[in-house]
Amino acid sequence: MSFKRLEADDFVISSDSITAAMWVGNVPTLTYFFTSSVQAAGQSGNYYLNVYSSSAAQDIQFAIAYGNANGSGSTLYNDAVTGSSYTTTIYGQYQNLVLGDENAAFIFGNVTSSDFWAISIERNRYKEAIFPGSLFLELSGSLGVINLTDDSNYVTTTTFTEAGRVYNLISASAAGTIATGAGSSNTGITADGWSADLGSYGWLLPDIGTILLNPTALTGSLAAGGIGLNVSRSLDAPGNNNARLFLAISGSTASTFTLNSQETVTSDFIFIRPRSSEFNYSENPSFISGSTGEVLYSSFVDNPQVYITTVGLYNDTNELLAVAKLSRPLLKDFTKEALIRVKLDF
Amino acid sequence: MGYLNNSVVTVDAILTTKGRQLLAQADGTFRITQFALADDEIDYTLYNPNQPSGSAYYGEAIQNMPLLEAFPNETQVMKYKLVTLPRGTAKLPILDLGFSSITIKQGASLAVNPQTLNYTGGNQVEPSGYTFTISDVRLMSTFTGAGVNTPQAQALNQTNTIGANVSKTVVGTTLNLKATTVNTLFGLENALYATLTVEGRDSGARITIPVTVTKVS
Repeated sequence: MSFKRLEADDFVISSDSITAAMWVGNVPTLTYFFTSSVQAAGQSGNYYLNVYSSSAAQDIQFAIAYGNANGSGSTLYNDAVTGSSYTTTIYGQYQNLVLGDENAAFIFGNVTSSDFWAISIERNRYKEAIFPGSLFLELSGSLGVINLTDDSNYVTTTTFTEAGRVYNLISASAAGTIATGAGSSNTGITADGWSADLGSYGWLLPDIGTILLNPTALTGSLAAGGIGLNVSRSLDAPGNNNARLFLAISGSTASTFTLNSQETVTSDFIFIRPRSSEFNYSENPSFISGSTGEVLYSSFVDNPQVYITTVGLYNDTNELLAVAKLSRPLLKDFTKEALIRVKLDF
Repeated sequence: MGYLNNSVVTVDAILTTKGRQLLAQADGTFRITQFALADDEIDYTLYNPNQPSGSAYYGEAIQNMPLLEAFPNETQVMKYKLVTLPRGTAKLPILDLGFSSITIKQGASLAVNPQTLNYTGGNQVEPSGYTFTISDVRLMSTFTGAGVNTPQAQALNQTNTIGANVSKTVVGTTLNLKATTVNTLFGLENALYATLTVEGRDSGARITIPVTVTKVS
């Protein structure tokens, strides 16, 4: 009498890809960057540097880490054990995650690299994945500035690693197109947007929310497509490479880091179909006059007028699982049928 | 000639606390199989059959009113259901519990036997029974329905809900309850409060009464 069973064709399941601005406050571009001296000076500071969007250091946006296959760029864990340092741990971590082979090397474009910077986006910022093609990262070095994007809009075949899709980072113009070295001081950039002899500028790994930067390309000369970014590869000495990349990101004249997130939202659409003869009386106390159950107005006996405000979705045992409210009351009587589409997101 | 209004009303649903609980249980109980409609927030005394502008305006005070967002607490929504009854119904089914409120001592037992007035021409116990919902299951050490032996009713009556301030629903023609004997729930208070909602599974008639459990020692 008050419940109606749903039929199989009342249910439709839909999965949609939703993109959104990456950073806190739903902004796509981060222009101010802050670190925490407490975090940097702590044990975790040996491995990575958290970057925040405000001086209050509340919302982590991403973390910077430096990995080196030989352990260069940081102090050793133990002076008696050569080559084992914080940077080898980071290198091995990403080697396992991205390459899945402890003997494999990172090859940026066509150049094998023994080190990288990793920019790891906070999980709640990228949701499910980084939206390929949305990256615009400006880096400044001692020789100039370079803008980076990924080549997802320019490749016809997507390459996969153990960490899912991978795209090369290329030099970009402000409009997001490939910026070659022609007509600029950075003469070493090829038509593909790579550095002339030092490979691509890194990888975008959208499925794990990570960007790997190729230090070899970025530290090169202008003629080689680099910007003179400074990296320390000293053995058993603090290289401060995380801070070096932070300065390259935040120290630019117009520091810009643009990204979008992407997630798949699965929605359950349920079609609610009250027929003309159904749901025309109400158990609302104001619909009843007095304590005997008589309807409020005599006209409601043959022509009841009720207003739908709420849809309840139940299981077999009449437990209320989900509820939806209409934006305004919907009139229902014996001359009307309604079709209400309820959307339930998971 | 005007355009026909063929728009589909689209609304976003939220999971209730009970829905989230059953989803977390992952035992197949989170399965939407039926729906009901309600007119919570509507005050039918605002409907004015004496409106001088004509019948099109009788409901003008109601149909443009703004509505509140849905509450996740399943005991605070779907309070007043719309029901399907034959045209010409002059009296609506109402429930009689024999109580307007329940005050029970810690550890004491009580049986509730509802009947439905104005139902199919008389006063009777509904064949499909009643759903009994206590708003805070912690107040009861026993909360079971009896008299309806369908598999769904028996499964619901055998469900254990432990240690959480959530509602519990059982089905039956009789509700057997026993107030908790746990002293720590009371803290510094001498009484605990909840609500009991009873709903006719055939008629849709509903009544909610306050429940008070008083501390013995």
